[in-house]
Amino acid sequence: MSLDIDRVSKRFGPTVALDDLSFSVPRGRIFGFLGANGAGKTTTMRICLGIVHADSGQVRWDGRPTGDLQRRTFGYLPEERGLYPRSTVIEQLVYFASLYGETARDARANAHHWLERFRIPEYATRRAEELSKGNQQKVQFIAAILHGPEVLLMDEPFTGLDPVNLGLLRDAFLELRDEGRTIVFSTHQMEAAEALCESLAIVDHGRLVAGGTLGELKRTSRARTVRLGIEGEILPAWLGELEGVAAIRPGAGFTELELRPGIEPRDVLAAALARGAAVSRFEIAEPSLEAIFIEHVGRAPDADDDRVDAA
Amino acid sequence: MARHDPILPNAAIIARREYLERIRSRLYRLSTLILMALAVGVALTPIALRYFDRARVDRIAVVAADDKLATGTIATANGIMNLAPPGIDAKDWAPPYVIERATSLDRALEDLAIGRLDAIIEVDRGADGQLDVTYWTNGAADGVKSQLAGFTALSVAILDWTSSLPPGSQLGTFHTPRFDTASLQGPVENGQAVDAVQIASRGFLGTVFVILMFITILIYGMWVATGVAAEKSSRVMELMISAASPRQLLIGKVIGIGGAGLTQYLAIAVPVMLVLALQDEIARAVLGPGGAGLPTGGLTIGLLAAYGLFFLLGFTLFALIYAAVGSFVSRPDDLQTLSLPLSLIAMAGYLCALLVLLGSTGAAARIPSFVPPLSPFAMLARLMVSNVQPWEVLLSIGILVATIALVAAATVRIYATGVLLYGQRPGIRAFIAAARRAG
Repeated sequence: MSLDIDRVSKRFGPTVALDDLSFSVPRGRIFGFLGANGAGKTTTMRICLGIVHADSGQVRWDGRPTGDLQRRTFGYLPEERGLYPRSTVIEQLVYFASLYGETARDARANAHHWLERFRIPEYATRRAEELSKGNQQKVQFIAAILHGPEVLLMDEPFTGLDPVNLGLLRDAFLELRDEGRTIVFSTHQMEAAEALCESLAIVDHGRLVAGGTLGELKRTSRARTVRLGIEGEILPAWLGELEGVAAIRPGAGFTELELRPGIEPRDVLAAALARGAAVSRFEIAEPSLEAIFIEHVGRAPDADDDRVDAA
Repeated sequence: MARHDPILPNAAIIARREYLERIRSRLYRLSTLILMALAVGVALTPIALRYFDRARVDRIAVVAADDKLATGTIATANGIMNLAPPGIDAKDWAPPYVIERATSLDRALEDLAIGRLDAIIEVDRGADGQLDVTYWTNGAADGVKSQLAGFTALSVAILDWTSSLPPGSQLGTFHTPRFDTASLQGPVENGQAVDAVQIASRGFLGTVFVILMFITILIYGMWVATGVAAEKSSRVMELMISAASPRQLLIGKVIGIGGAGLTQYLAIAVPVMLVLALQDEIARAVLGPGGAGLPTGGLTIGLLAAYGLFFLLGFTLFALIYAAVGSFVSRPDDLQTLSLPLSLIAMAGYLCALLVLLGSTGAAARIPSFVPPLSPFAMLARLMVSNVQPWEVLLSIGILVATIALVAAATVRIYATGVLLYGQRPGIRAFIAAARRAG
């Protein structure tokens, strides 16, 4: 049983949003859907939900076109957050759940459970407009899962959350995964994706550019990560002048360098020695997800594409 | 196979929320109370006018060439102007005029000028014996009183003439004739033509009804548009559109807001109906025993029901279009601009109705009563002041319902596309493209 995106294409006027996109999400997995802004992530999710119709191709869940399935099969957290500002939190949670067929009584009990879980039980009777953005986001997350959907589609669920709430949301993801639910989420936060995802798809300009398990992606990547320790210097200025370095991150007693494909770790070592640096540590590590992303897309995940994700 | 989304229960859930949100608002409650008070005031106006008319007694002076002519004129004027209406006991009837003799025209004119008198009937006899009657008023003459005075003058002349007949002439007693008006196109109720006073009253009430319909359709329509636009601008639409189909959302919203409008209508209409049902009792209490049985205006329960029906159909049609407009805007500014053509269309319906209320009965008045979206206004106006055949009413309703069905189908498509469009300035081409696009 899986969510299959099968050769889906979609245009908005002259703009190609999706171009023959295909990938599969196995049931009960947390799946990362990565791409720069405008890569086609939101359009793909909307097609999965049946909100937007594909020009060609099909999306299936358990072998059946998603357009034939009940709406309650899916839970959706849109990228653009929104609640009824003047309604109380509990009112709107019950309202959304009842649209998915839940009884008011069950929805109310379930909503209180999740509000407790997210440490905001006192906000149940508050108006949404009185909540902080982070708390509104948690309420919207609850609205997306309250009816117990089989598949959760989450568009940038971690954006705007502080580390505490980020942790709460990650725990919720894992719990829902353990219940057998399938979670597809898009994010710019590579650390979150690396920590949670078992499988990933990277899209660019509406096309799949890389996909598979995290291990497979790392094994097949040509990107290299080097950890370099230099005595007496934490972040030498000359590192920024090295060609082929995609990213530089300070670590504990070392500096981590993401190398572009074609640049070998030994080139970095040679450059350090040529500058007379006292190298105390030299280590070739697995490429990070960010490095893999840059390898396939050519830019960082939070860099804007020049196209509009029209729907 | 496309997803099957039955209308219920989601449309009902959405309608309930929309309904409760509206009727819980302070503005809604306040406007309902104000409109209720205004409507009851309108229903009571005829009784109130009669009350004030009853309390006021017009003083009319008769200035005549001789005593006999003066006495005859006063007696005739009393017989005509102070005649008790049919069915009212003369002893319960308070005459509205005091008619008395004045000996000097100059003094009477002074009294008229300072308001001590309301009118003067001057009767003079020419050299050839012909009577000249002048009806003096301060300011423009009141039509009804002028007619009564003219009628009095004619009667005085006849009596004067008969008194000059040779002795022994055989003439029966002179009886003041009754006078009524009849109209071929006038409204008919229970097989009887509605009398002229009620037709005049209905012209006024029809104007009130048409204005009320025009204002409420625009206000409730804008509620729908702003409701959709607000869901879109607050981005809650993204959640809604995945939880419910565009058809469910649209129907729920229109029914919920329409229900709030209907509640307001009932809150206004029920007290008015009660006033109408109890009008005899109210009139008797206010005007005394002679007040009962008097026509107290042209408003009937049938006309109120017609107003309710045409309001609902008109609102549904406009609300659907407003929803489509609301789905296409991302900013409130655009909503103002886009709703202007709709306001102009409603204004056209209002003007057609006014044409009818001003007395037009030709094709220009009849055709709009079958053409949506003008028909709710025009047919209501026709029902108020002219005789409309049942088949005409049914045909108008049928065309309106069919139009609503067609507009609803197009609106669902426009809505489904529009609610997901952000940052684009909507144009007519976008509407047409969305309406053509398969849902």
